Amino acid sequence: MPVVNFMTRLALDETEIASRRAFFEITAEDLARLEALRPLAEAHSVEVIDALYELFLGHPESRAFFPDATTVNRVKKLQRQYFLGLFSGVVDIRYVEDRLRVGAAHERIGLSPKWYIGAYSRYLRLLFDRIFTAVPTAEAQAAYRSAVKLVAFDMALAIDTYIAANIDTVARHQAAIRELSTPVIRVYHRVLLLPLIGTIDSQRAEQIMEMLLLRVSEEQARVVLVDIAGVAVVDTKVADHLLKTTEAVRLLGAETILTGISPQVARTIVQLGVDISAMHTRSRLADGIEFALGLVGRVIAEARTP
Amino acid sequence: MTRGSIPILRVGSNLIVSVQRDLHDAIAEAFQEDLLVTIEKDGATGLLIDISALDMVDSYVARVLADTGRMAKLMGTETVIVGMRPEVAATLVRMGYTMAGVRTALNVDEGLIVLARRGRK
Repeated sequence: MPVVNFMTRLALDETEIASRRAFFEITAEDLARLEALRPLAEAHSVEVIDALYELFLGHPESRAFFPDATTVNRVKKLQRQYFLGLFSGVVDIRYVEDRLRVGAAHERIGLSPKWYIGAYSRYLRLLFDRIFTAVPTAEAQAAYRSAVKLVAFDMALAIDTYIAANIDTVARHQAAIRELSTPVIRVYHRVLLLPLIGTIDSQRAEQIMEMLLLRVSEEQARVVLVDIAGVAVVDTKVADHLLKTTEAVRLLGAETILTGISPQVARTIVQLGVDISAMHTRSRLADGIEFALGLVGRVIAEARTP
Repeated sequence: MTRGSIPILRVGSNLIVSVQRDLHDAIAEAFQEDLLVTIEKDGATGLLIDISALDMVDSYVARVLADTGRMAKLMGTETVIVGMRPEVAATLVRMGYTMAGVRTALNVDEGLIVLARRGRK
């Protein structure tokens, strides 16, 4: 997913960024203090990043993300850019986009937040060890406090990206499951079969109807077989959903045959006083298929034995 | 909108109408009137209304279509509505409007077959 999408997903506009900055108490002085240290940070960046990679490569799990030297070198360059961003002196839309891009890349390759946060923590320690020896203590302490604010700001962005990306993944999976739960099968030219399994609530009934209507239209189907043998409970609500679906299918110009009606379901439907006479019904799917074929002008005949 | 804005074609003993635009109050009435007058004047065994161009049909339009069918029936003409889009059907059913008693078909071809079968009876 492109970064811009995460910017929209997380509603990261000027106002939101300003609000975050205010909450993390990042002041202009903080940014100026860090910017003043940029030459120092640049000077030490290569050795600090090299030391950082000892950590990554020392753990079997994190080492897996860096399969070869080329990858390591490429990622090191990106990492250097990322860390030096702390000393850029600005926190604007572009800065945030840059942070989100890294978060999204980590999520994509499956690098979990613990590696990112652990690495950030080590980077900060390694760099400030050097800064503390290079500049007066009071100055270094103030810069360290400023850096911690910005690092926390960055981490919040990275974690928000992770969460948003995860929610998107879950949503995609749910969509896939929904699709799998309403498989519309073409059993013969212009004859469709929808085997229903499990529980049918209002939401699923809606999906079933939409999916079925779409397929009827696409396939220009004449007949739809709806098999309810696998439906857990057939009550007034389910019957009502089935009737609605039948009517919608009829409006398109196709017919519905309801099959898989067990003696118990037949009893329930009559006892509940639901009128489903608008539907063709059959107990067995085989009979339903035969009936459907009849509607499209085909018959199942016994093969002649020679 | 002037009357006669929806052309009525005659093919054999059937009338064919393709509704291309939203049927607002005034057009709907003129449309109904035109159809019934044509049936009275020329006679027709079947009336086919193609609504495949409509991506929105509200309850008013649905009622106009269903009523037209019933009126034509009183005058001895069988009506079939063809080409309703999936989203239109879903919306109508959701609103609880079922167009009971109106014959439907998937497309113009199928609709003509329905009408021919009726005519023979």
